[in-house]
Amino acid sequence: MNLIEQIDQWSRKTPGRNAHISDGQTLTYAELTQRSNALAESLSKQLPADHSPIAVQGHKEPEMLIAFLGIVKSGHPYIPLDSSLPSQRVETILETAKAAMLLTPDQVKELVKPSQADPSTHSIHHPAPEDAWYIIFTSGSTGEPKGVVITCGCLESFIHWISCEHDFAEGAETFLNQAPFSFDLSVMDLYASLVSGGTLFSLTKDMIADPKRLFQVLRHSEISCWVSTPSFAQFCLTEPAFKEQMIPQVKKFWFCGETLAPEVAGSLLERFPKAEVWNTYGPTEATVATTSIRITQEIIKRYSPLPVGKPKPDCEIHILENGADVKSGERGEIVIAGPNVSAGYIHRPDLTERAFYQVNHMRAYRTGDLGHYQDGYLFFDGRMDFQIKLHGYRIEIGDIENNLHALTSVRDAVVIPIMKNNKADYLAAFVVLKERMNKSDFEITRTLKRELGGRLPDYMIPRKFIFVEQFPMTHNGKADRRKLAEGLK
Amino acid sequence: MSVSEIVLNELEKVAGTDQVHKDLNLDLFGEKILDSFGTVELIVALSDSFGIEISPGQIDRELWATPQKIIAYFEERVKSA
Repeated sequence: MNLIEQIDQWSRKTPGRNAHISDGQTLTYAELTQRSNALAESLSKQLPADHSPIAVQGHKEPEMLIAFLGIVKSGHPYIPLDSSLPSQRVETILETAKAAMLLTPDQVKELVKPSQADPSTHSIHHPAPEDAWYIIFTSGSTGEPKGVVITCGCLESFIHWISCEHDFAEGAETFLNQAPFSFDLSVMDLYASLVSGGTLFSLTKDMIADPKRLFQVLRHSEISCWVSTPSFAQFCLTEPAFKEQMIPQVKKFWFCGETLAPEVAGSLLERFPKAEVWNTYGPTEATVATTSIRITQEIIKRYSPLPVGKPKPDCEIHILENGADVKSGERGEIVIAGPNVSAGYIHRPDLTERAFYQVNHMRAYRTGDLGHYQDGYLFFDGRMDFQIKLHGYRIEIGDIENNLHALTSVRDAVVIPIMKNNKADYLAAFVVLKERMNKSDFEITRTLKRELGGRLPDYMIPRKFIFVEQFPMTHNGKADRRKLAEGLK
Repeated sequence: MSVSEIVLNELEKVAGTDQVHKDLNLDLFGEKILDSFGTVELIVALSDSFGIEISPGQIDRELWATPQKIIAYFEERVKSA
């Protein structure tokens, strides 16, 4: 069965089961299939069959799932965009991707009105392995986001691997969806749930912003498979009642997106003694995750930092230094080769050529991540450049700096991640203004945050702004980032 | 140090602005001074400072929306401790 068939089978086997629950709204498998078919039919009539991408901007509405499947069934890949994304960023993405259209949940509702007669299934497109399934935009160092093209073959390879490794109970699991759909961590919970006939339980950003409500919601969620960033689990662990009694059904914590600290894994194993904890690693360019490991107390005792595991069986991981494999145990750049490696960045052959190539007849991606092998496990040793992970979000520091430079009052800007326990805790921006005028630091900060908020998503806006006359310089004449960061400690 | 001084000093550290001392009615969430991670950081710091156990699950976002409201929350907690 192909992926579409694997998902649609649940509308026959368990038509009334909820495919999605989000803030009181539900969507059954029967509704998901019927409405996504209706959307596919409608889109096929409106658009030429040219595989051009269709963007969909929303948050955690059930229509997002209908849109994703409907768009793919119409022969187009989808671009998931979160509602929090500022319009200027959306415009840039639509132009870069040459998107055929931008859909919203309300438009999807209109296009698939429940009163409509059963849509024809003749027009359902079943993507070929090389067809793009989705395109996720990530932060780009020049200040422009880049779109990672994930094909049907990439996604099938990923889904096959996780299904074999985790053996989800068919039609019986509830998966936590914490990440926005624009972040590829959500691919892990969304498709693991849909192919196994599970229920996707979404948390909205309003719930996460209100801890009291969040824990009330979690208490009634019946989540059996927790999928989140480690930061979010760490956040939940600050609540003493966050333990087995709160969510007794949880049997698995499954992490991706950033480094999992041994303390977080250890606390989860203590508070949820019946649950497994899994760590994974992989860039968006290699379809969510490429390595995995079950973290036990024994692994925690033996390793700090924790290993990120072993590669999925159909792919290879190489550790390279100057283009050649390093000796066993040495550190180098992590290169991933296999069927899960992206087709490249949409309409950016220059960036694609720099990062992707062929290894052993497989598509390979230079991650820019440093790593080494020890005892057969891969370890992540940080970045080779200015890319960071903040609460799981992938951010190019250059992206923020370039957008700060574009503001009229800014002469120069340097953004620094402030680290705590080896993780980025928050961002600080050091800014040289063109003109100080008669405003307080707070007023200028407020203005800059607002202006930057029109160009970048919230998670990329620095928490602290420090105004300086000039930057301390290194011997090479560059802003001395180390000295700036030290000044904040 | 008074309750308000302790609250405002910790809040300044997390928020990165001394405006919290100057404007006690500052809209911490509306002005994007505190996000959910910042709030939890503040809860942990103030729990330590006052030696009072506060869990995020007890906190109504509305009760922590301004410096003044946070001070009032802790004055009440300290009084009843």
